[in-house]
Amino acid sequence: MADTALERAARRYGADATLGNPIRDMNPLILLGCVAALAAIAVAVPGWVVAVGMGAVFVVIGFLGGRGSGYLMTFLKLWAAVGLILFVLRALLTRSGEVLVPLGPIAVTTDGVQDGLRFAAAVMAVCAAATLFFALVPMRHLMLALERIGVSPRVSYVLLASFQSIADLGATARVVLDAQKARGIETEGSLLVRVRAFFPVLAPVFLTAMSATEERAIALDARAFNRRGARTSLVRLRSPRWWEWVVLAVLVLAALATAIGANLA
Amino acid sequence: MTLANLHDVRFTYAFSERPALDGLSLQWEEGRVHGVVGLNASGKSTLCALLRGIIPHFHSGELTGQVEILGRELSEWDPAELSTTIGCVFDNPFTQISGIRDTVFEEIAIGLENLGMPRDELIDRVVAVVRRLGIEHLVEKNPNGLSGGQRQKVAFASIIAMDAEVMVIDEPTSQLDPESSEEVFEIIHGLKDAGKSIVLVEHKIDLLAAYADTITVLREGAVAMSGPTRDVLGAPELPSFGVRPPEVVELAVRLSGDGRDLGVMPMTRAEATRAVGTRMEEAHRAH
Amino acid sequence: MASPSRFSTFLHGYGRLTIFLLPIGVAINFVGGQIALLLKLPIYLDSIGTILVGALCGGIPGAIVGLLSNAINSITSPPTFAFAVLNIAFGLLAGFFGRRGFFRVWWKALLTAIPFAFIGGFFGALITIWVFGGLAVGGGAIIVGMLTALGMDVNTANFVAQIPMDVLDKVPTVLIVYAIIKGVPKRLMTKLPLGHVYLTPAGRTPATAKAV
Repeated sequence: MADTALERAARRYGADATLGNPIRDMNPLILLGCVAALAAIAVAVPGWVVAVGMGAVFVVIGFLGGRGSGYLMTFLKLWAAVGLILFVLRALLTRSGEVLVPLGPIAVTTDGVQDGLRFAAAVMAVCAAATLFFALVPMRHLMLALERIGVSPRVSYVLLASFQSIADLGATARVVLDAQKARGIETEGSLLVRVRAFFPVLAPVFLTAMSATEERAIALDARAFNRRGARTSLVRLRSPRWWEWVVLAVLVLAALATAIGANLA
Repeated sequence: MTLANLHDVRFTYAFSERPALDGLSLQWEEGRVHGVVGLNASGKSTLCALLRGIIPHFHSGELTGQVEILGRELSEWDPAELSTTIGCVFDNPFTQISGIRDTVFEEIAIGLENLGMPRDELIDRVVAVVRRLGIEHLVEKNPNGLSGGQRQKVAFASIIAMDAEVMVIDEPTSQLDPESSEEVFEIIHGLKDAGKSIVLVEHKIDLLAAYADTITVLREGAVAMSGPTRDVLGAPELPSFGVRPPEVVELAVRLSGDGRDLGVMPMTRAEATRAVGTRMEEAHRAH
Repeated sequence: MASPSRFSTFLHGYGRLTIFLLPIGVAINFVGGQIALLLKLPIYLDSIGTILVGALCGGIPGAIVGLLSNAINSITSPPTFAFAVLNIAFGLLAGFFGRRGFFRVWWKALLTAIPFAFIGGFFGALITIWVFGGLAVGGGAIIVGMLTALGMDVNTANFVAQIPMDVLDKVPTVLIVYAIIKGVPKRLMTKLPLGHVYLTPAGRTPATAKAV
């Protein structure tokens, strides 16, 4: 006998939440600690080799977590948009060291290249870590983990509702702007014209969104949002496995060791 | 126990010139469907807000008079307790979706999570409500992508899951197409069969005539008429309060004026068909 | 017989509405920024929500909106997070000015653009210098780069680039905030922590008690 969609849903919610991948199923906060520790190692070690190498480590983790292709794209885009500029500007504008390539008033210097690589790689390591974390962990799971350690559900409401509101308000604004365009109100042309297209259109959109919060508040109040007392959760994250703690401990110790080592060197 | 006992209630929203409720008195029994009709700005939504304690705890203003809900004075109710004892659904399908859950199943569960219901019970309750309202096909969908009618059904499911004894339903179909409106009224019918107390504000007088036990007509913040549905909707002075009688009532009144009284005031098409059929038979036999 | 009781109250919004306004504030920040990009305006316009919520609900809610918007942006562009302090400052400052009624009148609102721009420009440049060695990312960095290439010292270049940009950005921002506040309906205003600032004109006009 075939299961109905409802029965399948009930069974799915009855079990621990899973994303089908051991890394992604790690406790979000433990995973956060691990990734942060790796980033700390990348930044603590002087030079650029470790930092760049850590970037590769992150990409590997991304693939292990089943989000490899998407993450790799983001990673490369980040290097192109951010890392490259950080490197190039430093390479060209640092005035100390030997000149490698003179270019009129500015020059590529050895110090510039070293500096640029180091700085870009370090910043990129931190960026890559943050992006990796959010590629692996859905916002909802992060919120659940935080609620489990006592963070108020109001905090998770504000965070999750922000994402949805950005999407909703963005869609509404686009509809209104398109309507304005259709009415012939210019959105191209001189600066002044464009500014004038902006103002009168958006204030009503924002005001409507603000007024809607009254009804939202009432609707959520009807669902006991303001009740004081213990809450339960439909979605249940699995408890952290022992190996997650081990990995975290190892990485944190490694990070501390490198930080201390780098300071003593 | 009475559902609501209001005596000479007056309420003016803060910074407003005119009172929204002006000497309103009514008494409603539990376990019935109480329809509320009236022109816009006659105080219907204000009354709903008052019944749930939103006035005066959320909407500030000046409130006088006696308000008793389920046997307790309004001032004695804990606001959080009152708002979960009396469920509510209102007209905007978009503001009743929380926006913080990815599936309809999870959306419906929110109220039960907040009430601290154990997980197994919670899941069973959601499944039961989904089956009851016939929305199995929606459970895995993202609530933020649903149509107005679908959202409204999810809103109903979310509140019904909390199993409140009383529901205040404020113009649930005003933003819906006729098909979705019918489905919503079926839900209300189901609630009525389950013995819930319902306060239903509606403009669709024909649907109201079929489901409501009593009708209360509001005018300028006070009760103009209140009583059993048949009495109120059949009363000749109803239109003077800006309320159009149901089609079948208009038909019966016209026939009566022509000297062809039906003998009974029909409230639904079915009753009208029966009454006309009976009269036609009698007329046929008389010849 | 229960006697008719008189429970007249002038409850100000419990602040329960503030929680629901925070996500809207964040959304306004984002949409403002997106539209500015779409219309190719040379300004950010990404702090409208922060200042609006600060002016209506107080410094801390405004700061939260600022921090949250910055954090969400940092997910896709982590270097942004270095500037979180600025957004927090905007929110706090908006609360400070809001409480003192600066957004009740358009020219007073306009005046607030100066401290906002100063904080954004001056401290923005400082952070760029401290955290990124004077050379961060984005169009601003290119400008700084060009100025440095022309011989200007990198630190000065940052200030020269950032402060005018921020003035150009904050002036329309505060005017939009002013316009929005003017349009907030009274019933909503009474529920906001700083609503009383905008609801009292020259003198107080409470809803008069009705003679029963």
